[in-house]
Amino acid sequence: MSYRKLLLPLVPIALFLVGWELTARFELINAALFSSPSRIWRDLVTLHTRGLPERSLLLTHIGASLWRVFIAALIGTIAGVIGGVLMGTNRYIRRFFDPVITVLMPIPGIAQAPLFIIWLGFGDPTIITVGAIATFFPIAYNTAAGVRSVDQQLVRAARTMGASWANTLISVYLPWAAGYVLSGLKLGWARCWRTVIAVEFIAAASWGLGFMIWDAAEYIRSGVVYGGILLLMLIYFAIEKALIGTIEARTIRRWGMVRT
Amino acid sequence: MRRVGPRSWMSHAYSVAEFVLPFLIIAGLWELLVRAGAVTSPSFPAPSTILVKLWTLATGRGVLWKHLSESLYRLAVGYALSAGAGLLLGTLLAMQRTLREMFAPILSLLISVPTIAWVPVFLIILGLGDRTVIMAVFLGGFFAITYNTIRGIEMVDENHVRAARIMGASGPRLFAAVLLPGSLVSILTGLRLGIGYAWRALVGGEMLSAMISWGIGKMIYQARFWNDVVAMFVGLMIIGVSGLALDRGLLRWLERATIEKWGMLTEG
Amino acid sequence: MAGEGNDREVGYADGRVATVSSYIIEMEKVGKVFGADKRRVTALKEVDLRIPAGEFTVLIGPSGCGKSTLLYLVAGFERPTEGRILLDGSPITKPGPDRGFVFQEYALFPWRTVLGNVMFGLLRNGWSRRDARSHAMDYIRLVHLSGFEHAYPHTLSGGMKQRVGIARALAYDPKVLLMDEPFGALDAQTRKLMQQELIDIWQTTKRTVLFVTHSVIEAVYLADRIVVFTARPGTVKGSVPVDVPRPREYTEERYLDIRHSVLDLLEEEVMKGVRAQSESLTE
Repeated sequence: MSYRKLLLPLVPIALFLVGWELTARFELINAALFSSPSRIWRDLVTLHTRGLPERSLLLTHIGASLWRVFIAALIGTIAGVIGGVLMGTNRYIRRFFDPVITVLMPIPGIAQAPLFIIWLGFGDPTIITVGAIATFFPIAYNTAAGVRSVDQQLVRAARTMGASWANTLISVYLPWAAGYVLSGLKLGWARCWRTVIAVEFIAAASWGLGFMIWDAAEYIRSGVVYGGILLLMLIYFAIEKALIGTIEARTIRRWGMVRT
Repeated sequence: MRRVGPRSWMSHAYSVAEFVLPFLIIAGLWELLVRAGAVTSPSFPAPSTILVKLWTLATGRGVLWKHLSESLYRLAVGYALSAGAGLLLGTLLAMQRTLREMFAPILSLLISVPTIAWVPVFLIILGLGDRTVIMAVFLGGFFAITYNTIRGIEMVDENHVRAARIMGASGPRLFAAVLLPGSLVSILTGLRLGIGYAWRALVGGEMLSAMISWGIGKMIYQARFWNDVVAMFVGLMIIGVSGLALDRGLLRWLERATIEKWGMLTEG
Repeated sequence: MAGEGNDREVGYADGRVATVSSYIIEMEKVGKVFGADKRRVTALKEVDLRIPAGEFTVLIGPSGCGKSTLLYLVAGFERPTEGRILLDGSPITKPGPDRGFVFQEYALFPWRTVLGNVMFGLLRNGWSRRDARSHAMDYIRLVHLSGFEHAYPHTLSGGMKQRVGIARALAYDPKVLLMDEPFGALDAQTRKLMQQELIDIWQTTKRTVLFVTHSVIEAVYLADRIVVFTARPGTVKGSVPVDVPRPREYTEERYLDIRHSVLDLLEEEVMKGVRAQSESLTE
């Protein structure tokens, strides 16, 4: 029964929301700290309508973040794929950079931010740079793994049929490594998103979802804080389903290369 | 391929050297560039300067240890809580189908929020001090541990369960004798991932909590106000090395005593 | 081969003694269906089978005929959707220590030593550690694994692992031993050796055995009676008694005759199975 699968998760959510609303209404909990769901909705709507007709503050915040994520992901992906391919095909490069990546990859973007603030100042340059770095690592790492796993027989077949190195790279290595690359992309883009929001907490000047949440927290406008988090969830889900889902469907699923 | 069994100290020494070499080369080049005057900006200090700073902070008034120990304290508390809660909840959800169907989607929804984004919420509810940081650490570890625990128990070889049942085991007996050891590989993975995430959440949380005065994250954050780039580098180094030590060191001995001895490493 | 209708006496734990039929397992119109609607699979249909106590019965049939499923039903891992199975007169509803099971993939607990594995059933059923240990050691000796009691399963070869599996299943004295293609994962030499050893062990312990296999040679070597199954949905096609005295030689004339009888029954069903498969692929 797939009704079960759809309905069951809604039970705790519904109970939670109703309970929250009621306890906030009846002042059982501090409404200033724990805005009720209805309050959250109102605050978000206000944020959206207040700046109109010039612009919706809410949408500007969201747009700023998305823009940064997009650019950072773009840079990080290109660098990551190139780096990954280099590392995957050349043994020395890999052995040189492997330890470096192992130590640097886990350092959270937000910790790197103050350094970049000193170098690049507040705002977009810092946020995008740190985001790009965060994207780079998982993509490079996974791409390298994928490239290394290529069955050499296929490479030989291509070379025998007259393909140049560049050609072999594109027509054999990349499709084969596609599965790995795709998990790298999933990880990298997720990391990009998280890092951008986190860095916005301390490095954004005036716009961005992260900035919006942080700013609201400083003034204890809890409705906006909770609302912001809700938006984070929704946006992430939408992006994941829409973007990554379709990419996977078009490429690796069609080729029958999905690994469970 | 992971080698099982004791290794000679020589091969240990060799792999350590292999690991450290790239850093030495990079540091060497960097140092040369600074000395040669190619890089003069104060924002790009030479490795030697960084090391000196590290020394000063570590000795002298022992400021570094104070920062580090505060961080580790918070990490320990938060992680222990997340491991306990994660294992418990993971087990519960793995065994009870109805509960799992109710709460698993919520869990995936919550995971999609970056841990750091919860910190403002905690700041409002729990204040600006220690408790917020520990809560952030808890969240960091909790999800990974819960998820991997559920997965591990779900993926226990059905035949092992059947064999145990036909020999008369059921209920808690069955759990302790079969489900727990059988899911250990996944649980240990979860614990390992968890400590990585917990450490990162720690650093982030410390940077955002205004009322704490000690902690590695705090140290980096404060350094900005003095424009102390060197201290930042020291901090980043410590974060990187600690992260590595936590991941490689902590759970290795546990792994060796259990899943390696039982030859379970190559199983899914 | 036990005669029909001969009664036996069975003693119960509370001191009662009862007379039961000589059939230790009785399957009455057993059916098993998996899945629902479009993905409905009828694995077994109207299986009527009576297993005499102390006999070595082999179930054989084409792939997918449900013989392993039947074994799972007797083990209690699954419940029949129709009919019922009785063990000593009581219906089987769940797994329990009155039966022992040997798996094709061994299913040994990797986190326990050989001794730990063999002791498992005993400990679960109230034996003291000390008694369990010595009893387990007896069985380890029986399967010729003395000296390996403290080894971990991952260090053992396939044949050795299966011996542990057999010892483990026998140690707590089940009424029936169920074996699901236990030698299927072994190479030909080891397989032959294990068959001989299994007969030795069986003759020593005189347990009722229900054994599933693909291999006709194996079936004729081991069985007192071979039950042949039809292709899916599986039901009993026929049964062939094997009255060749043991130890048996693969080349004896009577042996070969029986082999032919079984093959005759089997071939038709195997062809049906192959046809069904190719049809389903072209759907």
